[in-house]
Order: sequence, then C-alpha cells, then structure tokens
Amino acid sequence: MTQVSTAFEVYKFMSEKNILIAFTGYFDHLVTTSLLKNIKNKLSVIQSATGIDKKVYNILVESIENISKYASSRNPHQNIAMLLLCKSDNHFTVITGNHILNNDIPALKEKLDKVASLSSAELKKMYREQMLSKRTHENSAGLGIIDIAIKSGNQIKYDFKQLTDQTSFYLFQTEINIQK
Amino acid sequence: MDPLIIEATLDSPAVIFNASTNHFLISGESRPENAGKFYSPVIDWIMKLEAMAFYRKQEMQDDSTLVFVFKLDYFNSTSAKYILDILLIIKKLSGKGYKTKVEWHYDKRGDDILDAGNEFSKMIDLKFDIIAN
Repeated sequence: MTQVSTAFEVYKFMSEKNILIAFTGYFDHLVTTSLLKNIKNKLSVIQSATGIDKKVYNILVESIENISKYASSRNPHQNIAMLLLCKSDNHFTVITGNHILNNDIPALKEKLDKVASLSSAELKKMYREQMLSKRTHENSAGLGIIDIAIKSGNQIKYDFKQLTDQTSFYLFQTEINIQK
Repeated sequence: MDPLIIEATLDSPAVIFNASTNHFLISGESRPENAGKFYSPVIDWIMKLEAMAFYRKQEMQDDSTLVFVFKLDYFNSTSAKYILDILLIIKKLSGKGYKTKVEWHYDKRGDDILDAGNEFSKMIDLKFDIIAN
C-alpha cells in the first residue's frame, strides 16, 4: 500500500540517484510519443554545445522502441515496461526494463553479448552489413541495439531477473558520457 | 508529375518533392509507428522520377540537376532502412547518367546525424554534400 511515508522514500530515492525521469506502465506508440515530447522539453533545458541532449534523446527513442521489439505477444505483460533516465556528474544513464519470456532469453543474450564485445569500428561494420543485407524491413531488433551501442560509445549492460517459470524482467542500460 | 507533399507530425518527417523545381526535401524527425506505411508512397513517387527525367532529357534536352535534401533531426533504425532505399534509387538515377545531388544537413550541435550521413555515403558509394547548420 502506498502511503505518504513510502511516497517520501520514493522522492528521496529519486533525488539521491538523480533520476530525471521514471516511468512504468503500458508502453505503446501514443504513450511513447507523448513521453518523448515531455522528455525533449526537459532535455532542451540542458542543451549544450556538444549536443548531448540530442544524443540522449536518440538513445532514449531507440531504447523505448527496443522494448516492443522484444516483447512477445504470448506474454500477458508484453507492453508493461519501465524507463529511467538518470544524470550524474559524468554521464547520463538510460535504463529500460520489460517482461520477456524465458525461452527468448538465450537468443537475445547471444545478440547482446556479441554487441557488447565489439569495438566501435566493428559495430559500424556490423551495422553497415545488416543495413545492406537485411532488406526485409521487419523490425529487426539487432539494428537498434547496434545503433545504441555506436551512439553511446560505451559498452551496453543488461540483466535478466527471473519472475516466474515462464517470464523474466529484462533490464537494458546505456551510458552517455558528458564531455566537459 | 504532381508534387508529393506530406506534412510533418510529432513522429514523422515533412516530405516536399517537387519535380518542376527539381527539389526533393525530407526534413524533421522520423520514427513513425509503421515505417512501411509512411515510406511506401514516398518510395513509389521517387521511383517514377526516372521516367520523368528520361522524358525531359530526351524530348526537351533538359538535363538539370535533381537536388535531394535530407534535413533530419532524428531517425530510428527502422526508418534508416527506408532512407537507404531512397538513397539507392538516387544512386541508380546517378548511375544512369542523370545529374543528381544529395545534400545531407546536420545540426553542428551533435555528431550523430553527421556520422549517419557519412555512413550512408560510404554504404552506397555516393558522394554527399554534407552541410552544417
């Protein structure tokens, strides 16, 4: 039960962790669009010569879109997800979380490990190859993850927290350095 | 050839293709809910451009440059595939001897769009005019 005291704990936690945006709930295109509009306004305040607000925005969009790509239609919680945007002195952190089926984890994990292991030059090569070879235009999730890894310039991080025999909560994290 | 005019929305770019001025512009943000649905009329239109350019060159000795202007703030990875399709059609036109020019604009605050332009140019082996705004 949420009480005033719990709400205060949430406030304290968010302040201490520098969480600029926290959203959990049902994600669809409409929710995403209004959320992004709000985030864009918020980021425009921290506009800088290096354009970090743009880079954070780009990575946020691609991260949110990744949620729906990995959600399975067989999963009742498919569009229930989480988005966090945090800022420290040195970087922004974007974290998404969503429910996935345990059966889908091995293939996803393989893809994530592959992307995390590549250098920037190797990622760009992989991106070019996927763009030119996969001419099917399906929402190929691989491209989104590669794109995020290239733009962030940092290694992507992920985790799976098992919820039930069938499902887990999939967490995906990207950091964007603040250049000074 | 009737111009193609699509107004920008919160999630899709403005498209202004005008064969009578030889100016073809895509500008804004591209992350439509259904990229295929958004881009198919755009690609259909641009595919017809070759017939128009052929007629103009043969019948009217008009060989003026077709100028394609990309002024994108952001595009998602699904849109990127369609942008590549459009660029491949331009490349084909250029390969057939029609004069084409690709202007790739980017906001100098930030390098993602600049990098993407260079990547596309490399991917299809076509020179772009990269313009900082």
